[in-house]
Amino acid sequence: MLDFVQNFPCFSIVSCMFAGIISSALKGKGAKILNLGVLLAVTVMSALTLGYVMDLGESYIYVMGTFSAPWGNELRVGVLEAAMALFFCVIMLLSLMGGQQKLQEEVEEGKQKLYYIMVDLLMSSLLALIYTNDMFTAYVFVEINTISACGLIMIRQWGRTIEAATRYMIMSLLGSGLLLMGLVFLYGLTGHLLMSNIHQGVVHIVEQGEYHIPLMVAIALMCTGLAIKSALFPFHSWLPDAYGYSTVASSAILSSLVSKGYIFLLIKIIYRVIGFDVIQQSKIINVLFVFGLAGMIMGSLSAIKESNIRRMIAFSSVAQIGYIYMGIGLGTEAGMTASVFHVLSHAVTKSMLFIAASGLLQASGDSTDFFDLTGAGFRNKTAGAAFTVGSLSMVGFPMFCGFTSKLLFARAAVDGSWKMLPALIVLAVSTLLNAIYFMKTVIRIYTPLREPAREKRFRKIGIGEQPMNFVALICFILLNVVLGLGAEPLVALLNNGLKMFA
Amino acid sequence: MDGWILIPIFLPVIAGAALLAFRRGTAGKNSDTGMEDGMSGKAQPESAGELKRLHLLVGAVLFVSALFALAAAWSGERQVTLFYLMADIPIYFRIDQVGALFVTFTSIVWVAVGVYSFVYMKHEGRERQFFGFYLLVYGVLVALDFSGNLVTLYMFYELMSLTSMPLVLHNRSREAVMAALKYLFYSMCGAYCGLFGIFFLYKYCDTLTFTAGGTLNLLLLGENGGLLLVAVFMMILGFGVKAGMLPMHAWLPTAHPVAPSPASAVLSGIIVKAGVLAVFRVIYYVVGPEFIRGTWVQTAWMSLALLTVFMGSLLAYREKVFKKRLAYSTVSQASYILFGLSLLSEAGVTGALLHSVFHAFIKSALFLTAGIFIFQCGKTRVEELRGIGKRMPKTLWCFTFAALALIGIPPASGFISKWYLAQGALEANVGVFGWLGPVVLLISALLTAGYLLPVTVRGFFPGSRAETSKEKAENELGAQAGQEDAEAVREHGGEPALGMLVPLAVMAALAVLLGLFPGALIEYAARIAAAVL
Amino acid sequence: MNAIVMVFVVLFPMAAGVLVPVLPFKNRTRMMIYIEGAVLFNSVLVFAMLLHQPREAFVLLKFTGNLSMSFRLDGLGTVFAAIVSVLWPLATLYAFEYMKQEGHEKIFFMFYTITYGVTLGIALAEDLVTMYCFYEMLSLVTLPLIMHTLSREAILASRTYLYYSMGGAAFAFIGVIFILIYGTTADFVPGGVLDTARVGSPGLLLLVYLLCFLGFSVKAALWPFSSWLPKAGVAPTPVTALLHAVAVVKAGAFTTMRVTYYSFGADFVRGTWVQSVLLCLTVFTIVYGCSRALKETHLKRRLAWSTVSNLSYILFGVALMTPLGLLGALCHMVFHAVMKICAFFCAGAVIHQTGKNYIYELDGIGYRMPKVFAAFTVSAMALMGVPGLCGFISKWKLVQAALESENSLACVGVAALLISALLTAIYMLSVSVRAFFPGGNFDPAGLEGGKDPNWMMLLPLAVFVAVMIGFGLHAQPLVRALESVAAGV
Repeated sequence: MLDFVQNFPCFSIVSCMFAGIISSALKGKGAKILNLGVLLAVTVMSALTLGYVMDLGESYIYVMGTFSAPWGNELRVGVLEAAMALFFCVIMLLSLMGGQQKLQEEVEEGKQKLYYIMVDLLMSSLLALIYTNDMFTAYVFVEINTISACGLIMIRQWGRTIEAATRYMIMSLLGSGLLLMGLVFLYGLTGHLLMSNIHQGVVHIVEQGEYHIPLMVAIALMCTGLAIKSALFPFHSWLPDAYGYSTVASSAILSSLVSKGYIFLLIKIIYRVIGFDVIQQSKIINVLFVFGLAGMIMGSLSAIKESNIRRMIAFSSVAQIGYIYMGIGLGTEAGMTASVFHVLSHAVTKSMLFIAASGLLQASGDSTDFFDLTGAGFRNKTAGAAFTVGSLSMVGFPMFCGFTSKLLFARAAVDGSWKMLPALIVLAVSTLLNAIYFMKTVIRIYTPLREPAREKRFRKIGIGEQPMNFVALICFILLNVVLGLGAEPLVALLNNGLKMFA
Repeated sequence: MDGWILIPIFLPVIAGAALLAFRRGTAGKNSDTGMEDGMSGKAQPESAGELKRLHLLVGAVLFVSALFALAAAWSGERQVTLFYLMADIPIYFRIDQVGALFVTFTSIVWVAVGVYSFVYMKHEGRERQFFGFYLLVYGVLVALDFSGNLVTLYMFYELMSLTSMPLVLHNRSREAVMAALKYLFYSMCGAYCGLFGIFFLYKYCDTLTFTAGGTLNLLLLGENGGLLLVAVFMMILGFGVKAGMLPMHAWLPTAHPVAPSPASAVLSGIIVKAGVLAVFRVIYYVVGPEFIRGTWVQTAWMSLALLTVFMGSLLAYREKVFKKRLAYSTVSQASYILFGLSLLSEAGVTGALLHSVFHAFIKSALFLTAGIFIFQCGKTRVEELRGIGKRMPKTLWCFTFAALALIGIPPASGFISKWYLAQGALEANVGVFGWLGPVVLLISALLTAGYLLPVTVRGFFPGSRAETSKEKAENELGAQAGQEDAEAVREHGGEPALGMLVPLAVMAALAVLLGLFPGALIEYAARIAAAVL
Repeated sequence: MNAIVMVFVVLFPMAAGVLVPVLPFKNRTRMMIYIEGAVLFNSVLVFAMLLHQPREAFVLLKFTGNLSMSFRLDGLGTVFAAIVSVLWPLATLYAFEYMKQEGHEKIFFMFYTITYGVTLGIALAEDLVTMYCFYEMLSLVTLPLIMHTLSREAILASRTYLYYSMGGAAFAFIGVIFILIYGTTADFVPGGVLDTARVGSPGLLLLVYLLCFLGFSVKAALWPFSSWLPKAGVAPTPVTALLHAVAVVKAGAFTTMRVTYYSFGADFVRGTWVQSVLLCLTVFTIVYGCSRALKETHLKRRLAWSTVSNLSYILFGVALMTPLGLLGALCHMVFHAVMKICAFFCAGAVIHQTGKNYIYELDGIGYRMPKVFAAFTVSAMALMGVPGLCGFISKWKLVQAALESENSLACVGVAALLISALLTAIYMLSVSVRAFFPGGNFDPAGLEGGKDPNWMMLLPLAVFVAVMIGFGLHAQPLVRALESVAAGV
């Protein structure tokens, strides 16, 4: 007998999808309200699900339709999934709240409806990626995700965004193609599409010692595909333009959620499809580790060279994704916990940074010149404060969530293997590099402007002018501090979730 | 309670500091001019009444402190602990025989030169400042002589360098300031070399309190003898800087010509001896002569000392500026003393101590003469002194006596000390130095005669005025400064005031008389030498 | 009860500082009274606490797992807290007068006062993580102070400062993590907490220790991380004096002491190649800082280079890895604080009264400002190590420790100390000589207007001079107290 709560994951996915469909018949304002309503509903449902699963103490399987395994389609819900879903909803809400004003300025009136449709679809695909227990369903939602993400980039109709969207599309499709091929290999090897069943098949194959190379190829293909999609160095070339030029809400959503959805899928594949032990034995994880390290450094170096603040933050994402892959690449439980935590902390921080940066730019005449940011922190106080907090968090300043993830990473790295020293040193160097470009910007925005000629072009932005933006930023700051000071329960939760994940 | 022996230390120090600190106070009614006086290059003479009061005060303080110093020195062994710098390192004064000897000649010279400078400093100006530092240095020197352990000695050694520096730069010209800094930094360099050694001695000695014969703990030392030898050598070099030992002698010829003559006199006569005293204390009272006997340190020390004796004389012989010549002479003479100490024999130490005393009087006398020449007729170069004896015969006679003493012509004092030095070299078992030492001393004595006697000879017997044109040109060039106020020279060309002549005469007389009646002094020095060896 | 005071003294200045720009002061005097009152009150409280020596720890909040932010007072912390709380009210007093001409006073005093709390936080931290947190915070709250003038130079300097400290902290963080993993506890325990049974390869751990030491020593301006300090001299003098001669840089030295003697343990490092590396670096910095000071003609920058050199005295003492070495380091930490802050205040007084920055402009200024330059000369002599002034004591202790350690590099260090003393004599005394004995062609007209500043600037100077002489003559009680601190390790 099913508890009613158990239906919630399914409801969330479906309601998001239907919201999209219904929105196409509504006007812009209606779509917005519907979107808000659905997101709130999903948030509540996710929270309830989380509570339920925590009570339950183990994950449960939700069978879609009447076909049972191995033919049917399943959702699998555990603490980690529910937590992720809840978290993604909150970030999504806050990002939309923060980016709303800008959205109205930058997107044509008629297209705003479309935007919300895309957001609905994106949310549903993200939720599906989180909950699904079926590889093929995952693949389908990956594609939906790609398409809606493209829409989010392109919605601001501008030469650069179209180019960026095209680039994103090409790279993403390449990624999903590789994923699909990997999937096909796996299906060929095991004859299953449901994750749990594939896992049994893989275990069997490994025990028999057969098909070693095809299995490795499958793993490699899937990892590469998802790495491309989540912009692991050196596949990050699409990212700066896509994040840097799209409307701010899109940037925030893309950087904090979309790429994280793929990473979550990858973790799922590692744990549930292939199995942690098999992955650990394969050398692929070391490759991820090395590229993660390279990303940490190269992303930051590119960011240092960048003078457009939005693109700078985008490059910083490359570095942060490098952190996550580094954690995965450590191949330990602790590393995985750190990575998952960083998924959360980066989502919180990066969307805040994007929204704050947009606020600062607004107060500086939307100029892309770095020096026009001089004194922006005084002109838009909330954005300035949020940007400072975000920067400090990125640098790993104690009391903010970036510090907690740095701590978790570093503790995970100290395991006595050969990865320990490179990981720690790169972590330190990358902290330094982060400090260089983030603190440079913070100092810049708090340097008073002394050229009256320039000052005329700029305007002050008070709190009353953008209440939603203000509330969103304050929420972000609070989240950041909470994750920084009181991360203990969350980390325990994630650990717990990872245990019941496999 | 022996606390009163602190009086000769603190009285001049406090008086000197007060003189310096209240410089503006006296001119308080017109503070602006008061500052101008302090700052401007051309010193404004203080009013006559003020000057008189100043002289009276300084004279009184000097006299009283000197009396107390002598009383303290000759009233038996006394000691007082001032305070503890660190748990086992007190700042501690103890008057022993050596200290008494040094304090005695220091006080005599200091008072005499003080009297001399009452007159002399009129033409240098800024008297308040000069006497302020003059008193300060005296207090510090007395403390240095009274020091009972190595750290106390070091403390006052550094303070002496710092406080005597302003004496050198008194006239504020660029050269003077540079020379003063050179003097200071050479001294500091030496002091820190000394400190380097002190650190090691602290580790390997039972105590740093001066004990005749040394306090080195050979058990503690163990295998580290080589290291300690290096440290000791550093100390000899370091404290040797003050005594003008090669290779760190260069400050002497730079500092002396620019300093006021009384300052040169005490620098050469007394402060150089502080270096000697420091070396003496270190070797004979802390390390112990036995530790370095026969080691490379002794050899190197002797070689350096002899080399300095020779080079100093040679450089003096070639030098034309009178005060610079005397400065080189000091370089050479101070190393006589160091050579005597390096012999580690009784006669050597006796000779060294005697020479310390004699040289103090002699060299002060010589510099005072040079000062008179400058004060009366502005002549600084040797060639200009032709025929000076006609105008100031008394001065030149004093000079001559002092010169004879320095050369070591019997029965003047220098002979006695040199005799002991040579004897020490011969009786000490030091190989080749046994004969090389006396030979070098002899050569140096000849050179000394060569650079001092011509002044007398030409002074009294200028000869015909027919000079070669080249000499004439040189003469004119050198005398340019003098020619500017030729009038003044002609006016003041005669014998100096009594205030200058008497101190000079006293010094010169002491230089000769101590040679005629040396018995008590020799005995005293020999007692010290016997005690430490 | 007592333990809460620890948290209070850390948080109170922060709160008081934050309130400075918020509170509506009627006039400047009111603000001054408020700030000085708060700072003094805090200092009194700190001293009351130091006298009571509360033993128990106080946990402020918990991070993940066994990590917490907690405070506990021990010997080493007492020393640092005492230095800081003595100097802060004096420096604040000085700053009131000095900052008159600099503007933005509210912001300045806000951060100045906050820094007080943060510095005390470092002193009182019970464990490595807490200390690390406050260490990072210190970088951040002092940043606006360096930026204060907002000139291009100041911005660049603050950036350099931030990059250096954050980079240093990032590497120090590695050490923190290792202690968390391989230590029995993250708390500071004299003698170290390294669990030797769990230490797999000491080689790696040594490397980590080296990284950690170097990371923390960035704030103490060890070569090759020293260039931020002279650059930061663009800050107003109260900042350069108090922070860049005492609070910030001493925090760097303090953290290295903590890491060395209380976390990794000196026994673990003694005699290894890491010790040699550290000794070499510190000895080199001692000489390097002095030589750079010699070359510098900007008075404050010269003093800053001198600080670089003197901080390495402390680090040298730390790197000797013996209790005696720690004693020497502590002595120098205390004495250098007084000597250097005095020298800086003199430089600041000159800037405040005459606007002169360069040494060649100071000819004859000693007659206009005799009291200031008398104080400067005393501090110069103390820095040189003239016996009778406090610098000699610490130098003596350091050398004694170096010689006792029987390490040949330590003997080189002794020579370096003396060379540095000579160079110190040259670069400090040449300033005094210039001030008091200008050359003959000197024109006093250039010094119009300069005179001794008012009591708010002179009082701190007088106190410092008294302390320098007092400790120089009678250092016994202090040295004994420090000995008991050092003996614990």
